[in-house]
Amino acid sequence: MIFNIIDVLEALAYYIGMILVIGGGILDLIASIGMNRFKNFYLRLHAATIGAIGGGFYPLIGLGLISLTIEQLGINRYYIAGIAFTTALFLVITAPVGSHAIAQGAHKSRIVLPKPIIVDRLMEDEESEVKK
Amino acid sequence: MDLIPSYDITIMLLTIATGLFIAASIFYFLRLIKGPSIPDMVLAVDVFAYDLAVFIILFSILCNSPFLAIGSLPLVLWAYLLNMYVSKYLARRELGD
Repeated sequence: MIFNIIDVLEALAYYIGMILVIGGGILDLIASIGMNRFKNFYLRLHAATIGAIGGGFYPLIGLGLISLTIEQLGINRYYIAGIAFTTALFLVITAPVGSHAIAQGAHKSRIVLPKPIIVDRLMEDEESEVKK
Repeated sequence: MDLIPSYDITIMLLTIATGLFIAASIFYFLRLIKGPSIPDMVLAVDVFAYDLAVFIILFSILCNSPFLAIGSLPLVLWAYLLNMYVSKYLARRELGD
């Protein structure tokens, strides 16, 4: 049996997209459980990273690929796919910058302290600058 | 013979994915309610907004209404804006420009 090359490419996009969407949902569930189980703000940052990239970026790419292959959507599928890819691009640019900024603000304002810790060189540096 | 499964199976799989995302959003909302400090709440709002952005695209595919989809782009940028403003306020106790 011989398939057309366009059909093979469509099937590839469909299956990769479906794996990304279902796997992204499972990763998002894992991240939300970790968000509730971790004890500290600095530990919760790890769960938030999984929730942003695994639960936001992968499903958006997958939804864009899936919507390109659904015939029943008509001409609207290109519109939905374009928006999904653009949103995924902006998410993968802005999410790490935002979480770094919130971690820096939380550490500088001393609202949340990293409680079980061996050494904190950043805090020592800031305190020595204040003394000078 | 088609390589891609039928439309009904696709809709069913996307509905299962919607259920996974709803369950995750409930846990994020729990952390948002009981978060002991402001950075925890901001982190929870962040991932909640990313979840909602995926949600909007999913619903626009499931309901076949493309004008729903554009709302997800400002939502992601809004989460970034919230992060930057809150971190600036926490670090310097003022909302600069």
